[in-house]
Amino acid sequence: MSDVLLSARGLEVHFPIRSGGALRRTTGAVRAVDGVDLDIHRGETLGLVGESGCGKSTLGNALLRLVEPTGGTVTFDGTDVTALGRRQLRELRRRAGMVFQDPFASLDPRRTVAQTVSEPLEVHGLHGGRRERTARVGELLELVGLDPAVADRYPHEFSGGQRQRVGIARALAGEPDFLVCDEAIASLDVSVQAQVLNLLRRLQQQLGLTLLFISHDLSAVRHVADRIAVMYLGRVVEVGPAEAVGTHPQMPYTQALLSAVPVPHPELERNRQRIVLRGDVPSPAAVPSGCRFRTRCPQAFEPCPDVDPALQPVGPADGHLAACHLHGVVGTPVSREDDVPEGPTPGDAARAPRDAGRERR
Amino acid sequence: MTQLPTPGANPAEPPPAEPIPPSRPARPRWRETLGLLARNPTAAVSAVVLVLIVLVALFDETLAPDGPNDQDQSIALQPPSWSHPFGTDEFGRDILSRVVLGAGTSLRVGFLSVAFALVVGTLIGLLAGFYGKWVDDVLMRLMDMLFAFPAVLLAIAVVAIRGTGPANAILAIGIVYVPIFARVTRASVLGVREEVYVRASRSIGASDFRLLTRHVLPNAAPPIIVQTSISLAFAVLAEAALSFLGLGPRRPNPSWGLMLADGRGFIEQAWWYSVFPGLAIVLTVLCFNLLGDGLRDVLDPRQRTLTAGSGR
Repeated sequence: MSDVLLSARGLEVHFPIRSGGALRRTTGAVRAVDGVDLDIHRGETLGLVGESGCGKSTLGNALLRLVEPTGGTVTFDGTDVTALGRRQLRELRRRAGMVFQDPFASLDPRRTVAQTVSEPLEVHGLHGGRRERTARVGELLELVGLDPAVADRYPHEFSGGQRQRVGIARALAGEPDFLVCDEAIASLDVSVQAQVLNLLRRLQQQLGLTLLFISHDLSAVRHVADRIAVMYLGRVVEVGPAEAVGTHPQMPYTQALLSAVPVPHPELERNRQRIVLRGDVPSPAAVPSGCRFRTRCPQAFEPCPDVDPALQPVGPADGHLAACHLHGVVGTPVSREDDVPEGPTPGDAARAPRDAGRERR
Repeated sequence: MTQLPTPGANPAEPPPAEPIPPSRPARPRWRETLGLLARNPTAAVSAVVLVLIVLVALFDETLAPDGPNDQDQSIALQPPSWSHPFGTDEFGRDILSRVVLGAGTSLRVGFLSVAFALVVGTLIGLLAGFYGKWVDDVLMRLMDMLFAFPAVLLAIAVVAIRGTGPANAILAIGIVYVPIFARVTRASVLGVREEVYVRASRSIGASDFRLLTRHVLPNAAPPIIVQTSISLAFAVLAEAALSFLGLGPRRPNPSWGLMLADGRGFIEQAWWYSVFPGLAIVLTVLCFNLLGDGLRDVLDPRQRTLTAGSGR
């Protein structure tokens, strides 16, 4: 068995922009995920960070095909996820779960906790009889720190943290290997965030889970993640061991992101250097040519608009990669004729265009 | 990261301590709905009256003082009296008995036609709303075509093709209401299908069938329930109209619409002939409408949180 559980190559999710009217011509595309290369190792927690709108959640959804990728490949434990049939896709969704951001929205208000948590068991025909399922639901609730006696209650009777525990129990019901936590703590109180974070860490160790922890909260990510990937405008721009990325970021965007994290020490906080980025994130419907960060990069120089940077090894740490020309100009030159920056990227050949980014299988 | 209290939050409700499970006993939704309905006097009274009307229709043979077609020319066109509280018609038939027995016809046609429209229309709306794209386009354009015809004209066309009689009246009225249910359902489904819990179910591998039956339909149901109640009112009215035009149930079987039509010729000599079946129609239609309005309020989730917050 290889060390890599899940890997994405040149993954793209483009949502078509259609003009109004009866004919609905496609006039452009929002490139929510635009050529992501990412490996997730077995048993690790990979933190995925970036500003809102950079495509983190879309990437997480595309890995499980909750959003159809429009190009590129996703390989889960040796099988190509993008080519799965209906039955295999169901098995993938047993082996890979998802925890959602808003625990108030992610539970069906008309179904009891027991019905919600046992749904994966029913769907996948696990734990046959009703009695075994009830027992299993009790186990799962205990596993996430809830009293099994609450199984017959409805979601509106719970607090946010308790609901999120129910959501985690549901995600774990199929005994998955891989869990995507999509901003799983973002809408919780700070004290509850810590509880849920610790729960996730404990479960990971207990069950040997592999986690993709999507968050905009850098300090939370540094707390849980073994490795960190930084996303900007649909692309992973830096990835490496959490320690290396957290303390020696090699890409100006990551440096700016980290400098925005407050330090819990008044004196250090007062004197800390901040890199303030100017301007807004460009629209993912009109991505800048070459390096997509160049329009806001304080260190942008000559090759940035002309060469689309590829991830390359940087810094002293092993497996630390960044897509930045400051570490040597590596990447694909942009053809200048294209007015719209439709720069070819590595792995382009593998990226057969499929159906437009649809929301469902 | 900072948790400032939002102005919309209810300050009276303290956040529950995290590890302690809530103590309120589980209560099914429909029980809660019934409880709220009982607190809405108009809707509650309407519901009670409708139950009474249905009971009358069910036990019509027992309740009717005379047979519906018992003729007695000697008492033709008698005004209301103690022996004939609603008077008699031109053949000396007891109008009260005929109104009681007509309830069955009117309600049967109303319920069955709305049931037909409910099943077909909800299915179409569910598929159109959930799958979108070309499925939506094809189904909803078909519904638009049905909608384009005036309701009575469409019903007359169905009866013209298939002949008169109660079964065809049911089909005719049912077809008229299919596009209404399709639209209401589609609109509701469009909102529900984007809910995170639907995506969450998909993420654990649930099939489309499961998503539709377990998650989308139950959560999209409230407006459909309201529409059912209001449509029942109109269906009873439509049955009366079709009968009035001679396209529904045939004589001598009693039907409110037919009695209205027959009474029309005697309106100057015998007002009771058409007034009492008319009142029966008005009462039934009014109650279904008021119940529909009440259900709309009760099933509104905002209403639910309001009363739930103050009621505990």
